[in-house]
Amino acid sequence: MDDPRTAPAGPLGAGTGVLLIAVFTIATCGLIYELLAGTIASYLLGDSVTQFSTVIGAYLFSMGVGSYLSRHVRRDLLIRFIEIEILVGLVGGLSSPALFFAFAEVDAFRVVLYGWVFVTGVLVGLEIPFLIRILKDEFPLHDLVSRVLSLDYLGALAASLLFPLWLVPQVGLMRSSFVFGGLNVLVAVWTCHYFRRRHRRPRLTAQAYGALAVLGLGALFSDDLTAWSERRLYEDPVVLSRSSPYQRIVLTRGGDGVRLFLNGNLQFSTLDEYRYHEALVHPGLAAVAAPRRVLVLGGGDGMAVRELLKDERVEEVTLVDLDPMMTDIFRDHEAFATLNGHALRSPRVEIVNADAFVWLESNADRYDFIVVDFPDPRTYSLGKLYTTTFYRRLAGRLNTGGAAAIQSTSPLVSRRAFWCVVETVRAAGLHARPYHAPVPTFGEWGYVLASPEPLALSDAFPPGLRYLTPAVARSLFEFPADMAPVPVEVNQLNNQILVRYHAEGWQQYADGRPVTHP
Amino acid sequence: MSRRRIPWSRGLTRRDMLRMGPGAAAAMALGCAPGLPASAERALDAGRIAGAVVGASHRQGHLLRDGARPEPRQVRDVRVAIVGAGVAGLSAAWKLARSGMRDFAVLELEADAGGNARWGANDVSAYPWGAHYLPVPTAEATATRELVAEMGLVLDTGPDGEPVYDPRHLCHAPQERLFVDGGWREGLSARDVVNPAPGSAEAAELAAFEAEMRRYRDYRDARGRRAFALPVAAGSADAAVAGLDGMSMREYFDRAGWSSRRLRWYVDYCCRDDYGCTLETTSAWAGWHYFCSRPDDVEYLTWPEGNGRIVRHFLDRVGGNVLPGMLVYRVRPTASAGGGGVSGGSVSGGNVPAGIVPAGGVSPGPVSSGGLPGAGLPIGGASTGPVSQGAFPGGRPPDGVLPAGVVPAGAVPADGVEVDALDTRTETAVRFRARHCIYALPRFTAPHVIDGYALAGLESFTYSPWVVANLTVDRPPDGAAWDNVLHDSPSLGYVVATHQDLRTVPGPSVLTWYLPLAVPNPDAARAWMLAQEWRDWASLILADLVQAHPDIESRVSRIDVMLWGHAMIRPVPGFIRGEARRRAAAPHGAIRFAHSDMSGISVFEEAQYHGVRAAEEVMRALGHAHATSL
Repeated sequence: MDDPRTAPAGPLGAGTGVLLIAVFTIATCGLIYELLAGTIASYLLGDSVTQFSTVIGAYLFSMGVGSYLSRHVRRDLLIRFIEIEILVGLVGGLSSPALFFAFAEVDAFRVVLYGWVFVTGVLVGLEIPFLIRILKDEFPLHDLVSRVLSLDYLGALAASLLFPLWLVPQVGLMRSSFVFGGLNVLVAVWTCHYFRRRHRRPRLTAQAYGALAVLGLGALFSDDLTAWSERRLYEDPVVLSRSSPYQRIVLTRGGDGVRLFLNGNLQFSTLDEYRYHEALVHPGLAAVAAPRRVLVLGGGDGMAVRELLKDERVEEVTLVDLDPMMTDIFRDHEAFATLNGHALRSPRVEIVNADAFVWLESNADRYDFIVVDFPDPRTYSLGKLYTTTFYRRLAGRLNTGGAAAIQSTSPLVSRRAFWCVVETVRAAGLHARPYHAPVPTFGEWGYVLASPEPLALSDAFPPGLRYLTPAVARSLFEFPADMAPVPVEVNQLNNQILVRYHAEGWQQYADGRPVTHP
Repeated sequence: MSRRRIPWSRGLTRRDMLRMGPGAAAAMALGCAPGLPASAERALDAGRIAGAVVGASHRQGHLLRDGARPEPRQVRDVRVAIVGAGVAGLSAAWKLARSGMRDFAVLELEADAGGNARWGANDVSAYPWGAHYLPVPTAEATATRELVAEMGLVLDTGPDGEPVYDPRHLCHAPQERLFVDGGWREGLSARDVVNPAPGSAEAAELAAFEAEMRRYRDYRDARGRRAFALPVAAGSADAAVAGLDGMSMREYFDRAGWSSRRLRWYVDYCCRDDYGCTLETTSAWAGWHYFCSRPDDVEYLTWPEGNGRIVRHFLDRVGGNVLPGMLVYRVRPTASAGGGGVSGGSVSGGNVPAGIVPAGGVSPGPVSSGGLPGAGLPIGGASTGPVSQGAFPGGRPPDGVLPAGVVPAGAVPADGVEVDALDTRTETAVRFRARHCIYALPRFTAPHVIDGYALAGLESFTYSPWVVANLTVDRPPDGAAWDNVLHDSPSLGYVVATHQDLRTVPGPSVLTWYLPLAVPNPDAARAWMLAQEWRDWASLILADLVQAHPDIESRVSRIDVMLWGHAMIRPVPGFIRGEARRRAAAPHGAIRFAHSDMSGISVFEEAQYHGVRAAEEVMRALGHAHATSL
């Protein structure tokens, strides 16, 4: 040790070079794990600055913990090192699938995230102290520290370049995770191989090969795992995907925000959902003189409720949504509850999980304002919620001077469907005021204000709106020629003509054919 | 996937059924037939699918067959005794009660009233055991219009003066679909089914068929009556129309040169659906009546329990007067009525219309005023299935039942009626002494029950047997319509009991499956039917449905089966215009008849018409003031 010239002839011999390559590899892997955790946290939780800062901080801290703990390991350093490599390969390699899975299935996602980061960090923190101690007899200290740390930082540079330029765009988060975990285990395998004469540990070697196999399979099938998270179906990474007895709920997060899909159909994008929901709620709400009691049918994402709560006149909101899983996600899941400003936790809000049609029948309460935010009439089951029977029932729940705002699909894409809703509202004995608003991710979107008496519109919107101004609001009630009324039949339970209009309009749109209205 | 064969399925034994004894048919069905998919057989064997053959009152029926006719020890006096609580009997009761007359009793063999409109319920849904819808009544069906208005089904009067029905009760979309060529197709009109290539010969046949339909629909006779009306009694008596009864629908098709297989299938399906008869055994008059008595765009009123909803309405009004579990074993006209009522003669001074002989003779009643006597309606209730099976197996009166010295109907004095019934719960006999009796059972039972009753040509009253099953499923099949018909099946497919449910996400449901035994010889089919056990029905039903729903066996948890021995009067050629049906309109002393078999077609409007008509005749005879519903 004192004589540097003895180093090559030392007990490790040719292994020295191997171990130095290992330093580079594990340094790269270690940083990749850190970047993966930071990226996934940003995808899933948004606010990437916060996520990267906290993940890097937690990771570095736990590396420190690992370095500290390394002092307690006194014997069989090489064996311990190999074991650590296998472990870190597995923990780091499985980090992507584990974090995606945890986000979808576990409520306390942050506990899992930082727990995983901590364990990875501690293991990685053990690596360099071990290596230095293993190599301490091969090199003079000044030489050793210089070589190991420079390779360590070189590995970090390699990782930080590889990750954004090649791994994320080409390999994907899932496969990168497996591949680098595998490299970590390869270091263990390699080490076993080179020192097999000094340290014959067949069980250890077998474990290393086992771990390699697991990660190899993971890498091989990472496309399927990715499909599990349904990334193929959606443009952006799926951050939450759950099946309730009623529907498949999928949330994605990408460059332009969070999107909610129900059974594959886009419900909102945070990019512009405020436009949709402001237009849905405020024109009608402002037109009602004293909207104390408000009912929301559908809209379990809580966005319409968020808009309602902006108006101080609203004293109580009853939200009726079929699916408790939906309202739970948007009330309890921090990442999504922030999107509606925690509206569903407000003491002014009561959540009822029931079928809207059946609930309306069993409930005799009356409301000053009702928001009807159902999915488009894509099926006969949904089409029932747009019939004269439904609107008559709705009318029976409105106080004198009250109004209902009804989302009514796109008057541009499915013009007949939109005007069919208008005519159906009228056939149910209500006054109808149709209007529309441009919502970029949806296109031109249509709404109908329905009221027992003719409605006088008002500009008195609550503060804090991002889209609606009095001038804009007035323009919404003007229909350009390409969305002007067309003759339609009234939608009844026994004809469900709306389902046909809707399908016809959206089919033509999907086919790229001009939407014609003879 | 092999399928159990139903013996009368096309090309196999239907043509041969006449020649075959019922035993042979049963053996064919159960012995030679390949089975279900093994998984379904296992599900049945393991008891994973439960169920029973329900509702048949064999025990009660056997009491009568075995000659148990005790002398009643109790006597009850009522002004009117109504025998049978099917739609005809209940309609008579409804009309009496609506006219302020409450002194009547309705005697029903079964535990539940309703007859063909009976229903059941489990924790999933209510479901029909028979008739499951009522077409929106036409203008002629005045009593039916009165009824649906009373039920609160009418929201408003439209600009055309026609009632506007609550869409909640009109059959929701999607209404009908057909499984054909391995897939489902929406719609069940002739055009939907035939779906001809433009310009093809088939398209021309279809157009000719539709033109014929329009011609009969638009037909008005010299008195402004339509060719085919509901009730039948309101339709034209012109020879051009009535003459259609001289041939079968099949002959009509042959003469018209219509050979399209799809069109023939469609019309055959309609005949099986409405009459339990085939193209060959349905008279052309009845066939066209089906297509032309209602408008092209007719809507249907329907409920989870089917026409059970209407029965429930009747029971709301008259339920207190309905006595279930009463086996009526003798009805006897008497010269001096019990109860000390007004004598028959005294009625004559009242509001009896001209043409009615008040006492001592047969009153022809208003029925005979038209050309064709009144029409019939769906089977008169629960009683017709089980009663007939139990009491008269095979539907044939036992030999020697008719008493010697049968009194011709017209000779019976109209003073009163004794109705003897066995209360099957207490097994005690009760005599109801009534001024009048409305006999609302299918006519084939009359000679066994009514003293001295005979009707020449009674054997021309034949009835088709039906099997109805209710299957409890975890959810309705994907894309299910209300009525789901299978092209390649002797069954009619199924209706979905929860179809009118307004919930957006379907839950468990009940499918009601119908099988008319539409064969030339109903007696053989009836005997075959009664010989089958639940396990046989369960496999047969699953084998029928599996062609369209390969996963059906994993969705079904329960299959209940009801066997209807005499479900529907068969409008075979010649029956509508026949002498027997004309004579059947005549009362027998103070006994008046009410049943859809008097019309020759088994539909609600006819049953109701006859019930209401009989009730009004009785009230006229009693001098009870009332507004007519007819």
